[in-house]
Amino acid sequence: MSKYIATRALRGATGLVREADEMLTKAIAEKGPETPVVFPNTAYFLPTILGLTGREIETLGDLVPLLERAKSLLHPVPPASLWKPYLGETLDAGVATLLAAEAIEGVRFVNGVQPELFPGFEMGGATEYPHLEEGHLNGPIDDIQLRSWGIQLVDGRMPGFAAIVGCAKNNKVAVQIVRELQQRSILIFLAGNVNGRSIIHQLQEEGVEMGYDTYIVPFGTDTLSAIYAIGFATRAALTFGGMKGGQPRNIFLYNKFRVFAFVLALGEVDDLKYAAAAGAISYGFPVIADTVIPEILPTGVTRYEHVISMPFDEIEADDDLDRARKLVQKAIEVRGLKLQITEVPVPVPYGSAFEGEVVRKNDMRIEFGGKYSRAFEYLYMTEMDKVEDGKIEIVGAGFDDVPDKGAMDLGIVIRVAGRKMQMDFEPVLERQVHYFINGASGIQHIGQRDITWIRISKNAVEKGFDLNHFGEILIARFHADFGAIVDKIEVTIYTEPKLVEEWLATARKAYDYRNRRLADLTDEAVDDFYSCTLCQSFAPDHVCVVTPQRLGLCGAYNWLDCKASFQINPTGPNQPIPKGTCIDPVKGYWTGSTEFTRKASHGTVEDVTMYSIMENPMTACGCFECIVMLIPEANGVMVVSREDVSMTPAGMTFSTLAGMAGGGLQTPGVMGIGKYYLTSPKFISADGGFKRIVWMSSFLKESMAEEFKAVAEREGVPDLLDRIADETDCTEVDGLLEFLAEKEHPAMTMDVMF
Amino acid sequence: MPVKIPMEKWAGSVRTVTLGATAADGGTRQHTVTVGGETTLPFLHFEGEIPNRPVVATEIQDRRPDGWSELLMEAWGDRMNDPGDWAKAAEEAGADLIALTFGLTGLDGQPTSAESARLAVRKVLDATGLPVMVSGPGQAEVDNELLVAVAEEGAGERLVLGYCEDRNYRTIVAAALGHGHLVHARTAMDVNLAKQLNILINDMQLPLDRIIMDPTTGALGYGIEYGYSVMERLRLAALQGDSMTQLPMLVTVGEETWKAKESKVGQGVPETWGVWEERAINWEAVTASSLIQSGADIVVVRHPESVKRVHAVIDSMMTANDRGGS
Repeated sequence: MSKYIATRALRGATGLVREADEMLTKAIAEKGPETPVVFPNTAYFLPTILGLTGREIETLGDLVPLLERAKSLLHPVPPASLWKPYLGETLDAGVATLLAAEAIEGVRFVNGVQPELFPGFEMGGATEYPHLEEGHLNGPIDDIQLRSWGIQLVDGRMPGFAAIVGCAKNNKVAVQIVRELQQRSILIFLAGNVNGRSIIHQLQEEGVEMGYDTYIVPFGTDTLSAIYAIGFATRAALTFGGMKGGQPRNIFLYNKFRVFAFVLALGEVDDLKYAAAAGAISYGFPVIADTVIPEILPTGVTRYEHVISMPFDEIEADDDLDRARKLVQKAIEVRGLKLQITEVPVPVPYGSAFEGEVVRKNDMRIEFGGKYSRAFEYLYMTEMDKVEDGKIEIVGAGFDDVPDKGAMDLGIVIRVAGRKMQMDFEPVLERQVHYFINGASGIQHIGQRDITWIRISKNAVEKGFDLNHFGEILIARFHADFGAIVDKIEVTIYTEPKLVEEWLATARKAYDYRNRRLADLTDEAVDDFYSCTLCQSFAPDHVCVVTPQRLGLCGAYNWLDCKASFQINPTGPNQPIPKGTCIDPVKGYWTGSTEFTRKASHGTVEDVTMYSIMENPMTACGCFECIVMLIPEANGVMVVSREDVSMTPAGMTFSTLAGMAGGGLQTPGVMGIGKYYLTSPKFISADGGFKRIVWMSSFLKESMAEEFKAVAEREGVPDLLDRIADETDCTEVDGLLEFLAEKEHPAMTMDVMF
Repeated sequence: MPVKIPMEKWAGSVRTVTLGATAADGGTRQHTVTVGGETTLPFLHFEGEIPNRPVVATEIQDRRPDGWSELLMEAWGDRMNDPGDWAKAAEEAGADLIALTFGLTGLDGQPTSAESARLAVRKVLDATGLPVMVSGPGQAEVDNELLVAVAEEGAGERLVLGYCEDRNYRTIVAAALGHGHLVHARTAMDVNLAKQLNILINDMQLPLDRIIMDPTTGALGYGIEYGYSVMERLRLAALQGDSMTQLPMLVTVGEETWKAKESKVGQGVPETWGVWEERAINWEAVTASSLIQSGADIVVVRHPESVKRVHAVIDSMMTANDRGGS
């Protein structure tokens, strides 16, 4: 907490409370204590006072005890010799300022000087004052408008509001700031001045229409009128948050977490502005100033930083308009506003229906990757201020000069930043590129990382599809689908071969790092597993427990996916399961996983092991990639893949077996799994692990040859794959036993399985 | 030989939800309707409390509907021409609640406007003293536009606004928050989706006793068993103590059954199917009565005769069966 801010805020608050006191005394002397005090068209009395103190102010007399309360919140200005944390005192001073400011505005209504007269001013939609004939500013927002905007704030169409206090560097900057906010559907409140000039004057001179219709509300040209923004926020909590007057804590928290508002202080900040800012902070509204002021960076009362100084002329940018843009962007970032892009701006149809579309060679205009060129995609996170949200840059030539059906190098580099982003989510997000780009009609995307292969059809190019559209797609979709973790995203597309080469090397380093990270990610190394109950719609009692070393049985969700999914959708099907105490590290019993499974399976599954097929194996829905089943005669298990239609040594085909393995039933000896679980050191490790596999569908053997080779080596039997039978060797037990004996399969000499 | 009926001791109960507000609470309804509160499975009076009867709502539309069965057109006759008049007729036919739904377009083929929605709601509120539920045509943008206007028009009446669905609930919930209404939360036959939507709505600060959940169903012969099973599981979860499933349930039976061939087609069907009108009404009444057995607290039907028949079933089921049986 800055002592400087504390001192000035306390001074400002003390001054204002005194001023309120004097005004009130005078008004009572002239008009009597019974004179009614009302804001127009509201059922909430003086709303900030009602919200924070529970007092229903109806007359001048009611304000007397209120100001006594405000005085009690004023603490002495810290002496120069004293250094201590002042946050509490400053926040109290802020609240005193808000109470006094609203009291003053109440008295001013009595005196007929609110709303502020402004001859010749016209608004499109505003609070109505039938007694006023000349031009005036808006004064407080009425209840009808509050409800209408409140609905939009609550449902998310309107992300928040900006209270702009003061005067911008010049008229052009003022207009630019307002336009930037309008573009993002942020409601704009205007108040205050610097040396008599207000942003309201600036906008008026530039012909900007103000009023409810344009979402720009001019409250007044003095700082005090900014209290109407606080009154609006308070009523939002009372109306939509179900709070009652006199519940300041709840009202503050409601605004902190649900009303995304911030204060933009333009121009010099005086004592009163500091005091008012301290009041805004209690509501969780940060203050961004365009002048040099001390900052309050630690987070706490507001979501992120409290007070940010961004001296306008020092903002790195091409010109003042660009500075205005950056100032607004910073404000949005500090408040943690989430913006939504609903449509993907590409010249071709877009939707998941186009995901599986194939672009054949003959219909193709150009391809990236595959046989004739290199292509890769690489997503990484970086700091917030290193990403310019929405920026798309093409480095290198376009494909105009590439002959028809030709190929060219391509590197898609995606920089993301987000308050909740984690490095572990990089691969999860990067994998989405495949789905996102495939959604465009006429574009085919295969592979990932440095085996990316993209084709653009002639048809798409004719409709205007170009390289920058890759960026448009990614930016729109990441914001829409992953907005919970991605705040900012920027895309650079490299076609310049030398740079593609350089970035590819960087990307490969990252891929390599991620591979190693994944290998290091063991069940022992984490505190939480994740649940997946996505399939309960058709297998109501099944629950997947996903661990770093055992991915979901559908193969679609590994532990990192689940972790990211939980961040994105905290009420969704992937919930963290704290492991709790380990009961049996060999079979894989934890108190947490057992309890969770018992509850989520509605009591159907009493106990579950992570690493055994013989004792309380994990259940399955029906989406498993493979079925593992005990072959008692062979002292081992067989693995049948979903693709395999032939008979198996168990005397049943995959589809018959699926009936036994699925439906959330726990059947010792039968288990549905994701195929990559086969390569995990934890694959039925309680029962002997990978060496127990005596039979496996040839499809798996071939499609995962490389991975299995590594596993065989890890298990100390390098030629193990050759000793495992498949459907071309045998499809009944006798044949299998002969095969195993001949190959001297290790399972033949292992301990009996049960 | 005396048989002792085994009894379950449930940890949870269904929340009590009150629809409509009388003058005392800022509305204009003659009386309110309270549902929920069960501490046992449907009608097991010997085991727990069923403090509130299931109720029957009658569906009416903002204008004479297109594509409704001619049996329904005959049954309501000219009274369908005006939503107020229709609501009055529904009240006379014994409905406990009025369920007003909007079509996408008016009679003139123009899209239904917020203004006409407001007018229709006003007419219904003026014509009947029953609590009212209002739903849009089921298209997100239109629903939001109409329901915000409706919420404002009916401020203080504790209407039930629908449909909140997983992809579109925020605006309707916000409107309910702003004007003191309830919401109708609809999900597609899935326990977890229903639960999740309740959590999301509640997370917007709408209290749980202002949510009615609609797990949706199929008609008899068209997936009713699926709907039944989902509702049964929701209710079991509620009784087991899962707070996010402890909400009264509503199903729009009429909407489903009048789509079934058995209700729709009067000619060219086997003679053994019997008299068309009788069959169609039975289809609706049997579907509704079955779903009440799985825990429905509100069934929405279309035919006046169905209202009577379902009420008769509820009457007989609410007669307490003795402890221990006989």
